[in-house]
Amino acid sequence: MGATPQETVLPRVGTAPRRLPRWLAAVIWFARKKPLGTAGAVVVLLMGVGAVGAEVLAPYDPLATNYAQMLRPPSVNHWLGTDTFGRDILSRIIYGSRTALLVGFGASFLGATVGGIIGVASAYFGGRVDLVVQRLIDMVMSFPIIVLALAVVAILGSGIVNLTLAIAIPFMPRIARVVRSSALAIRETPYIDAARAMGFGHGRIIFRHMLPNVVAPFLIMITAFVGQAILLEASLSFLGLGVVEPTPAWGLMLRGAAVEFAERAPWMAIFPGLAISAGVFGFNLFGDSLRDALDPKLRTG
Amino acid sequence: MHRYIVKRFLLMIPTLLGVAVLVFLLMRVVPGDIVELRYTLEGTGVSDEFLAKERARLGLDKPIVQQFVEWMWGILRLDFGISMWTENPITEEIALRLHLSLQVAIMATLFATLLSVPLGVLAALKQDTWVDYAVRVFSIAGLAMPSFWLGILIILGLLIGFRWLPPMFFTPIWVDPWANLSQLIWPALAVGYRYSAVATRMTRSSMLEVLREDYVRTARAKGLWEQVVVVRHAMKNAMLPVITVLGLEFAFLVGGLVVTEQVFNLNGLGMLFVESIARRDYTMTQALVLLTGFTFIFVNFLVDLLYAWFDPRIRYG
Repeated sequence: MGATPQETVLPRVGTAPRRLPRWLAAVIWFARKKPLGTAGAVVVLLMGVGAVGAEVLAPYDPLATNYAQMLRPPSVNHWLGTDTFGRDILSRIIYGSRTALLVGFGASFLGATVGGIIGVASAYFGGRVDLVVQRLIDMVMSFPIIVLALAVVAILGSGIVNLTLAIAIPFMPRIARVVRSSALAIRETPYIDAARAMGFGHGRIIFRHMLPNVVAPFLIMITAFVGQAILLEASLSFLGLGVVEPTPAWGLMLRGAAVEFAERAPWMAIFPGLAISAGVFGFNLFGDSLRDALDPKLRTG
Repeated sequence: MHRYIVKRFLLMIPTLLGVAVLVFLLMRVVPGDIVELRYTLEGTGVSDEFLAKERARLGLDKPIVQQFVEWMWGILRLDFGISMWTENPITEEIALRLHLSLQVAIMATLFATLLSVPLGVLAALKQDTWVDYAVRVFSIAGLAMPSFWLGILIILGLLIGFRWLPPMFFTPIWVDPWANLSQLIWPALAVGYRYSAVATRMTRSSMLEVLREDYVRTARAKGLWEQVVVVRHAMKNAMLPVITVLGLEFAFLVGGLVVTEQVFNLNGLGMLFVESIARRDYTMTQALVLLTGFTFIFVNFLVDLLYAWFDPRIRYG
């Protein structure tokens, strides 16, 4: 899969030094062909750096309260101002990217894995199993994502792990749908027939022979859903049903005081929202371009 | 066509029944019930005897299957029962909020349609020009911006710019249309932006696809006016997926406005849903889930009919 873009394009980077490593050539190709996608990748990278190096990058402890410095506007000491507890907003945003990425990747990976297995199994068994699974998927999909996530949080309680699970569950049927349609085509290929003729078990055929061949849609679905997961995490935390204080999380930072003090301290409401938007924006752009580059057949929307 | 409609209609029943079973079981898996929540959390010593009596009064002591059958039997007679928390008839409680949620959903749909169809068509016609890029950035930004944050920004803007806040209490539109609109237009705009972003993307890509079809080239080759080609030939066919997106988003908005309602302090269905889950109000939650599920499935059904109407291949397939 990954070899195609480089091979077709290598001659085009002829102006650059000849002995570029392949990965660098691929990166340059991506940057030239997909400027928007590259912008997205830069945002994603920034988020990643912020999440990994939060301890080094953040100027203050995100949890340290300082009642002498409450509701301060952006200044040299506090670039993005402080909140009602005198906590530094920039530091909280940097630490918040850790929460966002953790939940975002966790939920989409979990959702894509479980959804992918359901989709492949449904396509593989076909017939009555497929019909029942598809009806079940219909049912689960008739709930708005946020409503289903809310219900799951109500059952499990809040907190990061439960939140990740609550976001992953509504993703599963949606991913299962897409993966199933790719898997239906694979089921008809001779090598699956061959595997069956050799007497392999269902599990072995599904996991060893079919799943590796839906990796492309699988990866694309993961990147496509990370943005949505970050958005959902922010929404649920905003409702007070996701991450709980004092963990720094963008949605949580917009809750309560940010709205109450919106007029006196608008920076409290503006910057965390900008962080959410930029993060989701980055993942959406990057995901779209990645999809176009990896598999032109899947181009939609 | 008639057979197709009947078949599609009957297929709705098992799905809805499944939704009903699902929510019924789900609610009873949630730890804690309404009686426990209401009396023991207050810390006042309440005897177990009293709790048992309360449960019996609410019908929670009956076997689960019996509870389910009674609930279903009520729904067949369009009797949704009473809310376990407020003890008012559920239809009454929902009707009040349905008006609000439905109105916001309709206004947001109108806004999204009026914005997304022209923008999407324009972007497709001017593909790869600055117009196209501007429209795409507009729609990608709409997808990224949480609508609750946009809501906060709108409130902030109104507060700082006009020293004015939308009214806090809901007035039905027939009582005072001005008060009603000045409250609901803001949430409709906040969710409408995201919604129009989705629809604009769909319009653009669907238009791009159709514009490359042979019959569009034929129409142009015949020397038809560009306007006629775009509106009569291309748009007519490109609108189907757009209608799907608009329809499904509308269905989601009716029950899924949860977060935006919180920002604007609206007492809508989403808020009611969060409250009733938190209170373990089984009857209310079940009714709400059934309502949102039904809306979604019914809109899906209408969209399918529309497809069959426009595309005879589906009807006879």
